[in-house]
Amino acid sequence: MKKYSLIKFLLLCLVFGFGVSSCSEKLDVREGQLNTGDLDYTDASNMIQPLIGAYYEFATRGWEEPLLLGVRGDDVNAGGLGDQQPFADTDRYDYEKNYWMYNSLWNVHYNDIINMNTAILQLENFKEYADEEGIARADQYIAEIKVLRAYLHFNLARVWEDVFIITSNQPEEELELGVSSKADVMQFISDEMDMAIENLPDMRPNERTDIRGGVTKYTAYALKALAHQELENYQEVADAAGAIISSGKFSLYPDFYQLFKKPGELSNESLLEIQYSDYGTEAGDELYHLYAPFGPQNWTPVRENAQSGWGFYEPSEKFIKFMLDRDEETRLVTSVLFTDRGIADLQADGYTDLPAFVSNVTPSGDIINDYARARFASGKHYLPSIQLTDGRNDYSAGKNLIVIRYAEILLMYAEAITLGASAPSISADEAVNIVRDRADMQPLSGVTHQQVLDEKFAELSMELGIRYYDMIRHDKYGELSYDGREFSADDEYLPYPQAQLDALPIEATAVDRDTPTNEILRQLN
Amino acid sequence: MKLKLLFICMVLLSGFGFAQETKTVSGIITDQNAMPLPGAEVKVIGKEIFDVTDFDGNFTLEGVETGDAVRVTYLGFVPQEFTVTQTNEYSIALEEDADQLDEVVVVGYGTQKKRDLTGAISVIDSEEIEKTPSSNVMQSLQGKVSGVQIVNSGSPGDSPTVRIRGLGTYGDATSVLYVVDGTLYDNIDFLNSKDIASINVLKDASSSAIYGVRAANGVVIIETKSGRKNQKPQFEYDGYTGFQRAQNVVKLANTEQFATMARESGSAAEIQFIENAIQRYGRSRINPNVPAVNTDWYKEILRQGIIQNHSLSVSGGGESVVYALGANYTGQEGILDMENSYERFNIRSKVDVDISDRLKMGVNSIFSNAIKYAPENGAWFRAYFAVPTMPVFDELNTEASPIRYSNAQLLGYRGTQNPFQDLSYNENRIKIRKLLTSMFLQFDIIEDKLDIKTTYSHNFTALEERNVNLPYTLGNNFERRSSIRRANNNYSNQYWDNVLTYNDNFGDHDLTLMAGTSFRDEASNTFSATGFDITGIGLETSWYLDFADPDSFNSNVSEVGRRFYGLSYFGRVAYNFKDKYLLYGTFRADGSSKFTLDPWGYFPSLGLGWVVSEEEFLRDNEVLDFFKLRASWGKLGNDNVAASAGSNTIEVVTTPIGDEPRTGLTSTSVFSNNTWEVIEEYNFGLNIEAFDNRLSVDADYYIRDTHDAILPVYIPIVNRSVDRNSGVIRNEGLELVANWSQQISEDFTFRIGANFTTLKNETLEIEDERGYIDSGSAEFRQRTTIGGPLLGFFGYERIGVYQNQEQIEADPVAVANGLVPGDLIYRDQNGDGVIDDADRVILGSFLPKYTFGGNIGFSYKAFDFSLDFYGQAGNKILNRKRGEIIFTQDTNMDADLAINRWHGEGTSNTYPSSAGLRKAWNQRLSNFWVEDGDFFRIQNIQVAYNLEAKGIPNTRIYLTAEKPFSFFDYNGFNPEVADGVDRQTYPVPAIYTMGVNIKF
Repeated sequence: MKKYSLIKFLLLCLVFGFGVSSCSEKLDVREGQLNTGDLDYTDASNMIQPLIGAYYEFATRGWEEPLLLGVRGDDVNAGGLGDQQPFADTDRYDYEKNYWMYNSLWNVHYNDIINMNTAILQLENFKEYADEEGIARADQYIAEIKVLRAYLHFNLARVWEDVFIITSNQPEEELELGVSSKADVMQFISDEMDMAIENLPDMRPNERTDIRGGVTKYTAYALKALAHQELENYQEVADAAGAIISSGKFSLYPDFYQLFKKPGELSNESLLEIQYSDYGTEAGDELYHLYAPFGPQNWTPVRENAQSGWGFYEPSEKFIKFMLDRDEETRLVTSVLFTDRGIADLQADGYTDLPAFVSNVTPSGDIINDYARARFASGKHYLPSIQLTDGRNDYSAGKNLIVIRYAEILLMYAEAITLGASAPSISADEAVNIVRDRADMQPLSGVTHQQVLDEKFAELSMELGIRYYDMIRHDKYGELSYDGREFSADDEYLPYPQAQLDALPIEATAVDRDTPTNEILRQLN
Repeated sequence: MKLKLLFICMVLLSGFGFAQETKTVSGIITDQNAMPLPGAEVKVIGKEIFDVTDFDGNFTLEGVETGDAVRVTYLGFVPQEFTVTQTNEYSIALEEDADQLDEVVVVGYGTQKKRDLTGAISVIDSEEIEKTPSSNVMQSLQGKVSGVQIVNSGSPGDSPTVRIRGLGTYGDATSVLYVVDGTLYDNIDFLNSKDIASINVLKDASSSAIYGVRAANGVVIIETKSGRKNQKPQFEYDGYTGFQRAQNVVKLANTEQFATMARESGSAAEIQFIENAIQRYGRSRINPNVPAVNTDWYKEILRQGIIQNHSLSVSGGGESVVYALGANYTGQEGILDMENSYERFNIRSKVDVDISDRLKMGVNSIFSNAIKYAPENGAWFRAYFAVPTMPVFDELNTEASPIRYSNAQLLGYRGTQNPFQDLSYNENRIKIRKLLTSMFLQFDIIEDKLDIKTTYSHNFTALEERNVNLPYTLGNNFERRSSIRRANNNYSNQYWDNVLTYNDNFGDHDLTLMAGTSFRDEASNTFSATGFDITGIGLETSWYLDFADPDSFNSNVSEVGRRFYGLSYFGRVAYNFKDKYLLYGTFRADGSSKFTLDPWGYFPSLGLGWVVSEEEFLRDNEVLDFFKLRASWGKLGNDNVAASAGSNTIEVVTTPIGDEPRTGLTSTSVFSNNTWEVIEEYNFGLNIEAFDNRLSVDADYYIRDTHDAILPVYIPIVNRSVDRNSGVIRNEGLELVANWSQQISEDFTFRIGANFTTLKNETLEIEDERGYIDSGSAEFRQRTTIGGPLLGFFGYERIGVYQNQEQIEADPVAVANGLVPGDLIYRDQNGDGVIDDADRVILGSFLPKYTFGGNIGFSYKAFDFSLDFYGQAGNKILNRKRGEIIFTQDTNMDADLAINRWHGEGTSNTYPSSAGLRKAWNQRLSNFWVEDGDFFRIQNIQVAYNLEAKGIPNTRIYLTAEKPFSFFDYNGFNPEVADGVDRQTYPVPAIYTMGVNIKF
């Protein structure tokens, strides 16, 4: 009996032992996740996926980004009174480093940069296994991503002056090198663009068939020009912008109003444009930018149930009066949505004989009603309710966001020449008059720098802070000191967000100890 | 009385058979109160004559002789012996055993006598659990177990947060392990309180180390009720019904106060919005400066809820089979005025069979079928912010349909604000089906000494979610389309345990050895899809995705799956010498597929005990009945961490390119190769029983260090948090429990008990070059820093409010920051004359420093009464409802904030002015927003009447008030906020019930 049970016992042990040891292999199994190492990098047909991913990152901008980039200009004021007080304070150059918008702008930009860097690494993996055609394609894709990445760095340096240049997806080492001066960042962009230009297609973005509206050689030139504009290397600006003009590929979209609506999407004027869409379907997939902050808070749309906005972005009276004084119609009507309350305020200020187009009914028939938060709303971020896809009610749902357009290139080019650069392409007069012509404005001759700046004011208002950065570049603090504001040199850049000061390692300040921002970092850490 | 007469008759009658050599005796076994005890064992010592009392307590022994000694035993009572005399009828009253030390405690893959324990294990009586009318067992433990913090959830069907001995890590990694009849769970919301026989909380590392990798946050062992051998079927019905209502409702600012705040803010737009409300809804006749509307939004969204519970069970057993079967229904309505409820139906069976005298087999299963209508917690938040100048319904809002709800946008505000759009037009249903099933086979290799047991268990959970969004319009062009989201989640966890146990005693030595293996396979899968524009949305019968616009599924379908494996080898030795010296040791080797570098971790533990009262010098002591000193040490691991932290993962995305959807990849670029989070704990304790076991005192002191604590570390630039091994967290505390119970007279007994727990949560080391780890959002910062608690609130220390212009001018800080009277004054911590980031300090922790609980109870004749209380102190709560004024400042607030605002010199030295509230300086995180969470609560009051009479079954009728009174200063519904951040916490209601319990 005893022996029998011993055998049974041993048998049991054997069964359990066998069962258990066969389980131990399972410890190396990772189910339900796809790792970067699991991709098949030998299949070149998948190569485009990281690139699409990078365009996706570029499209997912925070709603606060364009607001914050633009609000400090004298073309626009913070609306949304009674809401987002630190945003209104920012408009008045009273900065709060704890404000979430600053932190979000920083975070979203850098996060996208990191993800783009990972996409570049993946493309390099593809390149290793690719044939000659594949290698060229990988190089082109990498160049495209570098242009997008450069634009993000460009924004950061414009807002904070000295920022980190991040080119890897494990940024510890680059953080230890500390922040780079704004000049270094701009030079980095220029160098990157020089390399990218080699590998990018020689066409307009809307001519591309693989990625319609994607980055081309001329987008890189445009960024190079912008970077040098910040560096005030006007000859470089003229050369880069001239390359775009001389290509003869670009032209202004004839209808200035529709340029910012659906018909003007991916036009021959567009050099860099963020694409949003609901693909014309009532339901299902979509990718939108949240334009509600730009919209009027109360309206009667032509198409029912089209939602109104939040009234956060109010064109300034200064801008409107500037335009009225110049007898601008096309560009004023396109840039500003009026309310009766706003019109009454203009009349009270002596503009008693306003032209008929100054009306609370937009050219597309939507009626803007009075609301307490603001008196005017941005027209360039407005999509007429009749252009919304059926069943889609979000304010300006599916509208693209133009980042760089040919008109800016022309005016940047003209400005560089009026500041002494030699003209590699057309004359400054010609460049300015192309822009004026579309706006039904009389041509100028012997155009001056101030005239170019005014032209930029009229043409590019409300667009991503172009006006503000022009003003601080030329130290025109007087222009920014309007409506009770006082601007001084100290107000040019935003303070680093508190959350970043807390999060960045002390070593971030170790290398370049001379910049004032590093001094601040050191104190705060 | 009648029974006794009957016995006397029987005795007389049976007297005729006296002449026989062997005879038959019979009798009745009762307790002190003459209540019959069914199932008591009656055995003739030294003979194979044996019986078990029937339901009426009767026994019969055949073939006994005069002079035989008979022993009567019954669990929980002092065994008694009697000698067979000439009488053939015996009435034996057993005394309840106040000394519970021989009680057997389940310790994980085995049992131990309570007197032999060397670790810190709290045993909770099932009666204590049953007193609380709750669908979740753990809610009833609040305040009853020292060292265990329970944070209740008011939402029907939700589980409370349970923390054993503080917090050593964060996130999902903090959940307690529940072992229900040997099977592992993270959540026990499927269990009915009435089915539970015992709950043991394994608090120290030595006790829980046998569960190794799953034990890091403590282990709660739950045994469900079983039948007993040779027991007549016993039926039990228990049911209660009652209602629940919100307590301590926060008072919101009324129209008058809100309008005053708006006017004092100096914001033209806010003043205009008040005017807009006057225009729309008319002027108040009492105060012509405010609109004729005064909505108390909390009052509008709250309601009373009905709660009920009914259980029916039967248990019993024969020679070779024992069984316990039952069914239970529980239903609870939430206090939020929408489809918000929880209903659960359980069926349960537990059957053990002796197949032969050496082979035993058992099957245990619980099926739980629940439907939960989850609340729209956002409504709590919206109700707080909705302006009182707007009514619930607005007949002027003719564009709103199907109901004419008001819309704050029509007054000029950014949001629609009205919480009823969420309450009326959203429905969130979750069908929760859980099946616990396990089977064991036990074979005695050497009888009573060596056995092997193999157990396979499977716990299967299916969660079927359906979120329905009904279409509506709300005026101001606000239209929502209909949609339905469906998600099916399946969890399938399988365990296979093999345990070999050897028991022996020789001389003064008592030894138990155990060795085992365990294999775990835990898989989960979630499939979800959302469809829009549902045809026939008006009828619930068409709430299926089949009726959605097929185009709308595009990119609204997802599936996520995970599967983890674990493999363990473990062993235990328990030894005692002369019942005086105790030794306990365990070892476990754990493999987990979650760790990419090295899947194996090794976790030893050791416990020592000395029963001092067994020593000669205390033997004759009159006072001390039992005195034990014990010490233990152990290590535990934690694999309850995100597995994907170990690699770089890819996500599929879609973006429009030329108006066409194009699919691409993005990838996360941070990862960490984590190693095991290891908990090391020392525990020192004592147990005392004194004054004839009337007094019992347990005390424990512990130091619990979490090494390589896996915390979410924010990676700047990358802007992601990654779980990384990043510090050493110490939890240290003292736990005291004292109970006294006494029978004063035959009719009157009373008991009183109290427990007290301290907790010091401290960060000892930070493995991060910054020296701290930030959590929470940038605006509401929480920081873990050396010497501070885990995730302490981090900000400025408010020391007052600027009262006048002279004070402003005298303070360079105020001048430098452009402050005005009514702004907060912060302490200049480093004394450098400026207020900047360096002046931020830890403002406190959400973990209470002290918790205490207690109970008082007495019974007098058929009545009994009990009262429980609970309190905590030293924890902080971030009042984020208030704090979110930093995002939108024109909405409503609570009345306290409006009334106590600074509005002129001397009006307040703690609250800023209305204008100040809207200013970034005052909006910085400070102890103005972080409040004390101390509270004291009468937890439970119960009065019961026990009806015992011939002809009717034993019946107990009881009235319960659960959490009827709470006392605290915090400006919220309730200071029970699990993570200390109060944004939209569902209030914990008071519950009043009446119930009946019948046994037959």
